[in-house]
Amino acid sequence: MTGRFTYTRRRLGKAALAGAALVGAPLPLRHAAAQAPGNLKVALLLPTSGLQAQIGQACRRGADVANEVFADMKLPVKLDIVNYDTETKPDVARTQAEKAIDAGAHMLVGAFDSGQTIAIAQVAEQRGIPLVVNIAAAPQITEQGYKFVVRNFPTAPMLITGALALHKEIFKVSGKTPKTAVLMSVNDTFGTAMVNGIKALFPKLEMPYEIVDTITYDPAAKDLSVEIGKAKATKAEMLMPVCRLNDAKLLIQEMVKQRWEPMAVMNPGAPGLYEQDFLKTMGKYSDFLISNVPWLDPKSAMTQALEKRHLAKFPNDQLDLNGGFTFEAMLVAAQAWLTAKSTKADALMEALRKTKIDQHVMIGGAIQFDAKGQNVNIKAAAVENLKRKPTVVMPLDAAAAPLVFPMPGWNDKRRT
Amino acid sequence: MNLVRRLVGNAPPRILWSLGALLALLLIAPALLGKYWLSVLILILYFAYVGQAWNILMGFAGQLSLGHALYAGLGGYIAAGLYFHYGIGPWAGLFAAVAVAATAGAIVGYLGFRFSLAGVYFALLTIAFSEFTRVAFDHWAWAGGSGGLFLKVDATRDIVNLRGGPVLFYYVILALAVGAFILCRALLESRLGRYWLAIREDAEAAQAVGVPVLRCKMIAIVISAALTALAGVWNAFYYNNLFPETAFAMGRSIEITLAPIIGGLGTLFGPVVGAVVLTGLGEAFTDLSDALRISGIKQIFYGLALLVIVVYRPAGVWPWLADKLGLKERQP
Repeated sequence: MTGRFTYTRRRLGKAALAGAALVGAPLPLRHAAAQAPGNLKVALLLPTSGLQAQIGQACRRGADVANEVFADMKLPVKLDIVNYDTETKPDVARTQAEKAIDAGAHMLVGAFDSGQTIAIAQVAEQRGIPLVVNIAAAPQITEQGYKFVVRNFPTAPMLITGALALHKEIFKVSGKTPKTAVLMSVNDTFGTAMVNGIKALFPKLEMPYEIVDTITYDPAAKDLSVEIGKAKATKAEMLMPVCRLNDAKLLIQEMVKQRWEPMAVMNPGAPGLYEQDFLKTMGKYSDFLISNVPWLDPKSAMTQALEKRHLAKFPNDQLDLNGGFTFEAMLVAAQAWLTAKSTKADALMEALRKTKIDQHVMIGGAIQFDAKGQNVNIKAAAVENLKRKPTVVMPLDAAAAPLVFPMPGWNDKRRT
Repeated sequence: MNLVRRLVGNAPPRILWSLGALLALLLIAPALLGKYWLSVLILILYFAYVGQAWNILMGFAGQLSLGHALYAGLGGYIAAGLYFHYGIGPWAGLFAAVAVAATAGAIVGYLGFRFSLAGVYFALLTIAFSEFTRVAFDHWAWAGGSGGLFLKVDATRDIVNLRGGPVLFYYVILALAVGAFILCRALLESRLGRYWLAIREDAEAAQAVGVPVLRCKMIAIVISAALTALAGVWNAFYYNNLFPETAFAMGRSIEITLAPIIGGLGTLFGPVVGAVVLTGLGEAFTDLSDALRISGIKQIFYGLALLVIVVYRPAGVWPWLADKLGLKERQP
């Protein structure tokens, strides 16, 4: 049997090599395809370390899946996204913006926080490079007469007005209206600005309830028993918390402990109640709390594509408004390139001014910028925690589930 | 001429030549560097300047302040507020800013020194003042409250109102850093400087030999606060926004202290060398963090690097460097 195929060590080695070559041949091509240069180089400036790291990273995840969602939505564009960490410091934000532009960024996106965003905006103006603001609520950002800045996020007054308008809608739909409310707020920059804004806008909006007390507390508070005791003593029918993550947990824990069961716990445009860590920690007590904030439109095809990609890439992380708005900032940048077909700053800026994006992910009208660079079409949503998931219940045309109002008691059977 | 001779003192010629060359390089730096490197250089000069101001109180007079953000914040807010509300330019506004910060320094100093608060107790006092000023500014509508104070941004160069691009601010902070360096040298060479060193080494012994300890400490804190206020004015007009939570933050106070501690407490070159090392390390680790795509790794490496420096060079980098380069000043 001379023709018989026999395995020798040398022959086996050759076969293995050939097999490896066959399997591995497309790898460089795949790698090359993955590394194919994008149409537009976008510098994403976010606080991914420091005090705001958690939120900065949530924002970044929205951008990380942007190109995949564009491909799913058949948008013929690919962004070359380069990440820069602002370390939650305006001076670092400024230096990083300079570095990004020196490295050839055609557009800047960022930076979650108003102070850092303004530091970047100055660089953008001086260097003539467009900046798309993903999140930052200080009205001054679009009141400075900047020529190279657009913002796809509501200003603080827009946030409050939208949230309070939703309160009325919720009362109308449910047929139940609380007569009194107590406003509880964390005493930091955000909280104080919100409380002042609410007090200023409240009389103009003719709200159906009276704010009987405003209770503020330190951001580092470890115990809110006195504050909750005081709020309970007012016999208010609704609690409006302006909180962040940790104090939101303390608030609800203390409410359960003191058996205070108002008609609603409904924030007037603040984080905390919808955050993943809050939902995990508070379990059944997180359900039926309502946040009135801008949110992802569950009925939009693009939101569904974004949610799918986000879940696949980050199975342990919740997609929230931070990721949503950062994705939309990328969408704005992509659309600008599609319109301009150029990476020149002036052409991109001209395209940004003409932006009109009907299909996007956040609730509201088309993304369009007014003369100051502000998108005024963003709307707030009532997001109620249902089965440990923030769920849009208002406006009705975007609702993913029916509203539950008034809030069931802490030991109600509907909390499982 | 006499003043120049006093300033030069026993400095070896090679230090003077090196300083001259460094200054010449710094003067032409904007023409040589890209915008990013210019912004890094601006940060170095800023930290060198505020470090020099803090060094007067801690390095020379031996009084630990961990609340210097108070003076920078006050300076920034006063000058920016006067410009924002009344159109008073920063060159005029800085007199008010310096006066307010120096007064605040005098109050803190008097409470601390008059009642013999020393070491950590004095440091706690400075932190307390910085903190309650932050809370007060959070609720002061004139200063924009917690929502912040924003200056109108204008890229056209206007030296009178300190409006313009990074190059203008570079030369202003360079002038401040050079001025502070010369002032500190003059102070160290003066009788007051000798008194400070005596107080730093042993306040009771200094008092026993007739050094007016309280007065000297008060002068140190007032000068230090006034110089820090100037940095606050520069900072406010460079970044165009002020928030109480960042302007008076504990972190800001710590940042001010780092350059002189790492560079060499009580030395003239310490804050400068410290600022170069810290900003350089910061940028290098930022690049590393960006390249590795691991958020927060910069802070870990940065902390480790500071630990290594503090363990192996407890007196700071400059004394060791000066020894290696043969730049130690001759003792008279």
